[in-house]
Amino acid sequence: MAHVDVAIVGVGYSKHVSKRRDVNIAELVWEAVSNCYEDAGLKPKDIDAVVTGNMPAFEGVNIPELWGAGHWGAYHKPLIRITTGGTTGGSVVHGAYYAVASGLYDTVLAIAFEKQSDGNSTMGLNTVALADAAAQFQQGVDPGFLAAFGGGAVGIAVYQAASYMKRSGCTTHHLDKVSALCRNNAALNPWSHLKQPGLTPEDVAKTVLMQYPIRFGHVCPATDGACAMIVTTGEKALKLQNKPAYILSCASCSDEAALMGISGSGTTNMDPCAQEHCKLAAKWAYELAGIKDPRREIDVAEPYAPFAHQMLMFYERLLLCDEGEAPAILDSGSMNLDGELPVCPSGGVISTNAIGASAMERVTEVALQIMGKAGDRQVKKEVHKGVAHGWGGAVNLNVVAVLSDTPRRS
Amino acid sequence: MAEMEYKKETRSVEGSWPMEHWSWKFESIALIAKAREAFKEKKLLGLKCPGCGLVYFPPKPYCRCTGEPDEWVEVKQQGTITTYTFTGAWAYEGIKEEEGPAGEPMIICGVNFDGSDTLTVCILEEAKPEEVFVGMRVQLKWPEKIEGRLDDIAHAVPLKE
Repeated sequence: MAHVDVAIVGVGYSKHVSKRRDVNIAELVWEAVSNCYEDAGLKPKDIDAVVTGNMPAFEGVNIPELWGAGHWGAYHKPLIRITTGGTTGGSVVHGAYYAVASGLYDTVLAIAFEKQSDGNSTMGLNTVALADAAAQFQQGVDPGFLAAFGGGAVGIAVYQAASYMKRSGCTTHHLDKVSALCRNNAALNPWSHLKQPGLTPEDVAKTVLMQYPIRFGHVCPATDGACAMIVTTGEKALKLQNKPAYILSCASCSDEAALMGISGSGTTNMDPCAQEHCKLAAKWAYELAGIKDPRREIDVAEPYAPFAHQMLMFYERLLLCDEGEAPAILDSGSMNLDGELPVCPSGGVISTNAIGASAMERVTEVALQIMGKAGDRQVKKEVHKGVAHGWGGAVNLNVVAVLSDTPRRS
Repeated sequence: MAEMEYKKETRSVEGSWPMEHWSWKFESIALIAKAREAFKEKKLLGLKCPGCGLVYFPPKPYCRCTGEPDEWVEVKQQGTITTYTFTGAWAYEGIKEEEGPAGEPMIICGVNFDGSDTLTVCILEEAKPEEVFVGMRVQLKWPEKIEGRLDDIAHAVPLKE
């Protein structure tokens, strides 16, 4: 339990596109950070500590937080980088939350980014799988087999999707509908990458099959982008914002990597769609937040879904419905912007994926919905509480944050 | 000092990460080496955790319950498909061949061999893509020449019961 109430008082994005050749990493991040300072009405001198995060292997630039520290107002400040894969941005928010909730610091700047075009993300992902792959080569596994088995995140995702479809009754049409829903939402979000207004499930179904059951239209783009956030104590927040977004709780849970255990040994995490650790993280986060019935109390959800099936799968694993119910809930329209429990109103990771930033952008979007500052993508219903999620690590980590318009202790 | 040139665009520099030259001395490597030796006798050896009873195949020296699997047990060569996909799909769906393996799609599946609690990835042979399903029963197919390699157990065929 937090000692101090923690609130988000400012957020900022950079422009998100495939290739930001006009800026370097430090400059790209500054766009988000300067927008964030402006949003919060604060200056670098008001910041007590800084938490940053990205996946340096994707850019091929190491210790980027020290390169950018001057740009971002982090000189002469406590600074730490957190890098946990796809969950990086979510873990950065956790880091900032812990710093304030513990009472150690009052006001903390959290930064997450990825400039994928500077490096080679496929090679970056390979470095995550390095221990596994190298040990398997050593013991007689043909590299061609490993490649065919499907490297990287797409490889994991197809097995997860096939298994989820079997367990839930989700069809390929549902996957097409998820993509259409998200990309249309993204068209309302000025900071999103892939905007496809008017995209229909039929259009998605016509895109090329990458690897069964996932089509090109079911997959996220590779994005250059940054996100920043300022969190502070509940007391200070009310002096800065009329309606801050309080972080009620953060929880994370790791598990054995699905499909292959380390160095070719077996893994008991046999079903990549089970995501038992996501259910555990969600359960812990709701308990810490004092939420007894997430289905009734959560107003908006931003699950981390770079692949279409994951929006439905994580909706279930975030305990927002029973297992296998999400496809029917999608059909009911409940997940739409004007639905009962809108999902990915931002357009989600499937529309914008600057990897290190993506999980923080889930928290940012829930915060904007609570503050009522989400612009055209603001959901129709009144938002009091929301849940933000991240999935990553070596595809074995889930992070969850619960946000609210009222502090825990009020 | 030479005059600084101002560049309007950032650029990327090629690099590489030669994974095939890494080697590891994990404890699990020695355990898997023992299991690989047993392949030559067409046996599958797994390790059982004394704490929770989970059987790891291929073997692993630590368990998710924090126990230390230490009992060698034989795992059956029949199993159940838990998930699957097809590779080479891009070759027949219109993406250029040079972007991926060409030819017929290959069925890759996760198999849980009877008597183990883990999943192993196999290529399923003698089956058509439309015949595969989660829950399908399969049989390990040994290569003609068993060399004690990890990919000796990388092929399976539908089980004829």
